[in-house]
Amino acid sequence: MINLDFLNPAENNNVLEQEEANEYMENLSVPTFEIPLVHNPVEFLKHQTHAAEQCRLSIVHGTTTLAFKFKHGVIVCVDSRATSGTYIASQTVKKVIEINPYLLGTMAGGAADCSYWERELGRRCRLYELRNKERISVAAASKLLCNMVYAYKGMGLSMGTMVCGWDKKGPGLYYVDNDGTRLEGDLFSVGSGSTFAYGILDSGFKYDMTPEEAYDLGRRAIYHATFRDSASGGIVSCYHVKQDGWTLISRTNVKELHYKYQDEPKAPLV
Amino acid sequence: MEVLLGIQGKDFVLVASDALAITSIVAMKRNHNKTRKLNDNVLLMFSGEGGDSVQFCEFIQRNVQLNGIRRGYPLSTKAAANFTRVELAESLRSRHPYQVNLLIAGCDPDTGVPELYWMDYLASLKKLPFAVQGYGQYFCNSTMDRYYRPDMNLEEAKALMKKCINELKVRFIINFSDFVFQVVDKDGIKEIKLE
Amino acid sequence: MITFFLVLLQSGNEYNGGAVVAMVGKDCVAIASDKRFGLELLTLATDFEKIFKMNDKCYIGLAGLATDVQTLSEELKLKCDLYKLREEREITPKKFAHLVSSTLYDHRWGPYFCEPCIAGLDENNKPFICSTDLIGCINFAKDFVVCGTTARELYGICESFWEPDLGPEELFEVISQSLLNAFDRDSKSGWGAVVHIITPEKIITRHLKTRQD
Repeated sequence: MINLDFLNPAENNNVLEQEEANEYMENLSVPTFEIPLVHNPVEFLKHQTHAAEQCRLSIVHGTTTLAFKFKHGVIVCVDSRATSGTYIASQTVKKVIEINPYLLGTMAGGAADCSYWERELGRRCRLYELRNKERISVAAASKLLCNMVYAYKGMGLSMGTMVCGWDKKGPGLYYVDNDGTRLEGDLFSVGSGSTFAYGILDSGFKYDMTPEEAYDLGRRAIYHATFRDSASGGIVSCYHVKQDGWTLISRTNVKELHYKYQDEPKAPLV
Repeated sequence: MEVLLGIQGKDFVLVASDALAITSIVAMKRNHNKTRKLNDNVLLMFSGEGGDSVQFCEFIQRNVQLNGIRRGYPLSTKAAANFTRVELAESLRSRHPYQVNLLIAGCDPDTGVPELYWMDYLASLKKLPFAVQGYGQYFCNSTMDRYYRPDMNLEEAKALMKKCINELKVRFIINFSDFVFQVVDKDGIKEIKLE
Repeated sequence: MITFFLVLLQSGNEYNGGAVVAMVGKDCVAIASDKRFGLELLTLATDFEKIFKMNDKCYIGLAGLATDVQTLSEELKLKCDLYKLREEREITPKKFAHLVSSTLYDHRWGPYFCEPCIAGLDENNKPFICSTDLIGCINFAKDFVVCGTTARELYGICESFWEPDLGPEELFEVISQSLLNAFDRDSKSGWGAVVHIITPEKIITRHLKTRQD
């Protein structure tokens, strides 16, 4: 298990400072969980959740999420479907987690894992802000999340997320997953429909798009992914992260988007 | 890990097949042709198990040609596709099913009507306006959905094909250095360059 | 081949996805299917109809592995046409059901991975529907039959929507709403739907506008 060694209380002689440090450690330590009283908890859960086992416990999967940086900030677009096996458990999942007014996290993989750890990230970001009298950078926030989930590596967490925000350095975009991978980048898509979204993004992306063009590109990429990937669908949500924080741009039903795009002429090729 | 692509235009089908022959982790050949001419206006493209795909396609090729000789006129694209499907479906329930995925592109020599068929190793046959075989499906289908029109001319189809190939180059882990591009129209089948 | 069938036995019916439902009305029957053709989660085409006309008063819907849907529909059409040539009359739905059943049982140890729903009117224009399992056990029903990956959702919704003695238009409404709402909960079916209403006078075929995700 990895501890977040900002301070080492053992080396500190000042009692007051030590107390303060303990509190600090408590607030930033990895949370504790109830563990089933079996020989091997990880294998036990794997067995209970395995697809071939008639899904005694099913965990929600399947998603298309994307985020990209451009001239006017960061665009974040997600679908809203949750599937459990082939069953559509919900068409109205909120896959963008509003960590604070300047930070957004997206959700792919296990819904519970994503929402729990990003909520925990939100708490830690707030503590950081109170202590340091300034907002946490996107880089630091994503590193916090990465370190938290890395502590549970191999224990079956399922999370593919993009941490998006704006800090002193400008727009920030990081990809973090349950392997402990953390990547800085300009354009990411995560989830079962990501390859389809990449197809639209790569062929339509221009750095100096207007915000309107960028919203349309993001929505289209998600729409095309929902058409081809049956684990994605529902409602397309679009967020824009700007210098003064994020705003929700739109929530559009995929059905409306499909018939709208169908009536429009196709983009020219030559 | 192979990719086949096909785009049906106004009066032609533009197809591309990757030219990479892979054994284990080795690229054995970089100018491999994964297509067979069934007759003057029908082209069969294959991917799948090394031995199976060539054996099966050449078996189909011989029989389609024999059929043409016997009847005195060539098999249509639809007939060739359905013949191929029946053969593959029969093989599916034999001791050694052929593991081969196919695209069949053709054009009627009289009317100039193009046709493109997609078929997987289970012998599910589907007529499609554009089709991709292999992992390329996950990368190129959305791009084709976005830009495809049924009345495209050759220049537009080439531009769309370029977009798809470019997407594979950017996102797919295998680096396909070369593709073989062919156009099937009412004058026959000819190899072209995309530029 | 054995390993191939073991793999298919686990997932054969769910590989391509699909939904078929048939319902009895007053002097009419309805049969409907979705239009998706997919490979697991990937949707490949949205014009793959799973209902096949055997004659003017007998339709069959096949949900399951697409290759077997194609093979079986062709085999059954051939058998129906041969029956007509030999007997100089159209096959009735009930006789057709037994034909389907024995055709499926012919492949008892290497089955076709699809489940049929049969709907039609007999020689006295009495409605007939039935379904069978993948090796030919016939399930006769007086109300509705369902098959495909959406079967469970369809059972629930048809139980509550269906009622006896629906006229052709009412039946169209009930079967359409049942199918649309059922496959909105199934990720492997949808992308359009087709409904056939078989009445003694005519066949009404309608394509439904649906969600495309």
